Amino acid sequence: MAETAEGVIGKDVARIDGARKVTGAASYGSDFALPDQTYAFLVTSTIARGRIRHIDETAARRVPGVIGIYTHRDIAGKVKAGKLMADGGYLGTSIQPLTSPDILHDGQIVAVVIGESFESAREGAYRLDVAYERQPASASFDDASVETVAASEASKTHEDPKVGDAETAFQQAALRIDVSYSTPTQHHNPIELFTTLCHWSDGKLTVWESSQNVWGYKYGLAEQLGIDPNDIRVLSPFIGGAFGSRGSLTPRTAIIAEIARQLGRPVKLVPTRDQGFTIATYRAETRHHVKLGATPDGKLVSLSHEAWEVTSRPDNYMVSGTKATTRLYQCPNIYSKVSITHADRNTPGFMRSPPELPYLFALESAMDELAVATGIDPIELRRINDTQVEPIKGLPYTSRSLMACFDAGAKAFGWHERNPKPGAMRDGDWLVGWGCASTMYPTAVAPAAAKVRLMPDGKAIVQTAAHDIGTGAYTVIGQVAAERLGLPLANIEVQIGDSDLPPAPVAGGSNTTASVCNVVAKACDRLRQQLFQQSNAASATDISGMPLDAVLNDLPKDGIEAYAENLPHGTTQEGIGKLYHGHSMLAGGSELKDRIQFAFGAEFVELRIHRLTKEIRCSRLIGAFACGRIVNPRTARSQLMGGLIWGLSSALHEETEIDQASARYYNDDLAEYLIPVNADVREVEVIFVPEEDKAINDLGIKGLGELGNVGTNAAVANAVYHATGFRIRDLPIRLEDLLAVES
Amino acid sequence: MSGIHVTTKINGDEVQFVCEADESLLDVLRNRLGLTGAKEGCGTGDCGACSVTVDGRLTCSCLVLGAEVDGHDIGTIEGMAMGDELHPLQKKFIEHAALQCGICTPGFLVAAKALLDHNPEPTETEIRFGLAGNLCRCTGYDKIVRAVQAAAEEMNSAKKIQQKVA
Ligand code: FES
Ligand code: FES
Repeated sequence: MAETAEGVIGKDVARIDGARKVTGAASYGSDFALPDQTYAFLVTSTIARGRIRHIDETAARRVPGVIGIYTHRDIAGKVKAGKLMADGGYLGTSIQPLTSPDILHDGQIVAVVIGESFESAREGAYRLDVAYERQPASASFDDASVETVAASEASKTHEDPKVGDAETAFQQAALRIDVSYSTPTQHHNPIELFTTLCHWSDGKLTVWESSQNVWGYKYGLAEQLGIDPNDIRVLSPFIGGAFGSRGSLTPRTAIIAEIARQLGRPVKLVPTRDQGFTIATYRAETRHHVKLGATPDGKLVSLSHEAWEVTSRPDNYMVSGTKATTRLYQCPNIYSKVSITHADRNTPGFMRSPPELPYLFALESAMDELAVATGIDPIELRRINDTQVEPIKGLPYTSRSLMACFDAGAKAFGWHERNPKPGAMRDGDWLVGWGCASTMYPTAVAPAAAKVRLMPDGKAIVQTAAHDIGTGAYTVIGQVAAERLGLPLANIEVQIGDSDLPPAPVAGGSNTTASVCNVVAKACDRLRQQLFQQSNAASATDISGMPLDAVLNDLPKDGIEAYAENLPHGTTQEGIGKLYHGHSMLAGGSELKDRIQFAFGAEFVELRIHRLTKEIRCSRLIGAFACGRIVNPRTARSQLMGGLIWGLSSALHEETEIDQASARYYNDDLAEYLIPVNADVREVEVIFVPEEDKAINDLGIKGLGELGNVGTNAAVANAVYHATGFRIRDLPIRLEDLLAVES
Repeated sequence: MSGIHVTTKINGDEVQFVCEADESLLDVLRNRLGLTGAKEGCGTGDCGACSVTVDGRLTCSCLVLGAEVDGHDIGTIEGMAMGDELHPLQKKFIEHAALQCGICTPGFLVAAKALLDHNPEPTETEIRFGLAGNLCRCTGYDKIVRAVQAAAEEMNSAKKIQQKVA
């Protein structure tokens, strides 16, 4: 498959949807408006556990403009609860509000008030009187009534990676690190709220909602509403941030659809920011116990990673990042175990790098502690334990350029000038800390389908139900089509985010570029083949480089079309059937039988901590990444920069705080849920380390959207240690953790 | 319910609308006037996605009532480009990849324009703090600053050339 001379793949081009986004013309979920639409406002529970005793609608009904109030009395029996994605369903929770008077978590939807205007619905909601029968609720790990079970008992498919005898090796090791870490609850908080607009016409439902999984939503809603999936269309042309929060269907969508059905008018829901904290998913808090045993010269002889994750009462949601942490370094004896703790919470869900972020924070902090204990430079320690073969099953990495990333990053950062002694580097009143950490993210690719149509005027339309969550999917898909068809990028129209298009997988696990670009390339190649076979130019053996001009004139008025499906390495034909039922068969990471697929990087952080106030400032963030072929360096760089800043944010700012007594969140707004602004972030640099991986997929693409924010957490904590000599093992790290620092 | 009659100027054009007393300017723009470029990210003044200008002053439209803008001049993202010709800030945002999902972008652009209108040659720190009322979760920090710097430079050199010609 030769490339055309144009070489659009790999070119540094601006995003093709940019003009629409800078002018306000790009339309997101709630920007759509329908004639006769009504507005919904949610009422959410003020208790975390118990039941609704009584709902008095009198005052709410009196509000002018209120036209409906929907509670479990109206919705129960009409909307079915769904199954978790991990259990073969489409939802992020099996808790379906309004199916009974039971309350299973804080902020559960208890009623929906419909008004002629947003304001009347809101006023009605404020006046709705809900009385509860309250029961004690457990918030998290330390509550007496939580229930903790081993992940291997909770899930038949869960595996705790192990090899050798980690405990004996640890006891016999010359150097031992035995430490515990924790990470807090975090919320995605995309800037676009969790809005939904539903409209029925002739028994068919159209949903405008930002989604990372339009085909999954279509099938999930069909199950919940008891209708034919072919009667549902989900539209999501622009998505105002997602980060995992829009990958699985949330219960609100079926509720709004059902209300629109009962009401016979379109319903638009715009929930508030604080409601977003409880009607969608979140990153659950985790705890870790890491034990490392090493020889005096830094060789790992034992690695043990035990972890606990919070989940809801009914669901066995888990992320199990030991899949990654047991495979990052060479080590003959490895033990791991994951447990989950059921509390009275909503079910957690995928949030950018769900398993890797909390688990690598623990391991990469522990590696830094080992570096200190051995007196070996942290980068050298990683070099000593580097491997091209994962230690659990002995499978080869398709490619792994971790140390090349460290070398490139260290050079750009000036790491050789680092004085390893904590507190030794200063700039006036500021203590300077330099930290680094490895980052890794699995490359998973899923079956996908796409259609391409070429018109006689030389324009082409690419159709696939993929999603652009800000990553640049529109642009990279366009680039691949332009190159494979031999057309300028400006001639390509990309249509995505619509469940009426050929199915593409969920935009999760950083798989979109690899999954979708490969199938689009295939469809384009097939189109060229059809084209040249039909035309008189058919005798040529290699048609890939032939210009289209000669054959365009022969095309019918509505052009010609080609369709393709792609089955990546490790998937079977069954994957296409699943794809056409809204399921994504992601294959890769550590789940393959014959090999292991990850992208790697090295992340460097420079912190300044004020000697008196302990204010923490990040002055430099540098990441060097090797992630196969880069389709568009500009959008890829954006993703990785965003990731680095996410990591910084997670390490220093973000935490959803929960009141232990009531099991309710209390900083559920953007004033108190801290995320950085421009003034908190200074220099951010992304370095691409060239990497060619021909095995991983035809185009050699690895995912990178979630690679950036993983290692940054430990790199920040390691920099805090370097600046102060204080090892903070619980995220986020705030100045109050450093008050005891003497300087 | 008796509506309130409001006469205002939006992006230079006179606009009249009727709204309720409890409607925010943001909801009026989005729900009544079809100007959906201003986004709602919080409704409480924390994110800046709803940024507009009122008489040239940067304002969170979620914190202002529609009824309050009677007799005032509103500027929204829809008025930033001159027809098909993008404003230098808009061009530089695209060029510098200062946007990803784009939901915060209209707010950032309106805030950046208000900043440059008042301070045509801001320092990097002034830009960082000037835009500290806008959240980008994706996050385009740093690139946004570079885009604003580049736009300011271009606008200033264009101004200097104009002055020379005149
Ligand atoms: S919506 Fe106005 S500041 Fe967030
Ligand atoms: S581009 Fe998505 S929030 Fe800024």
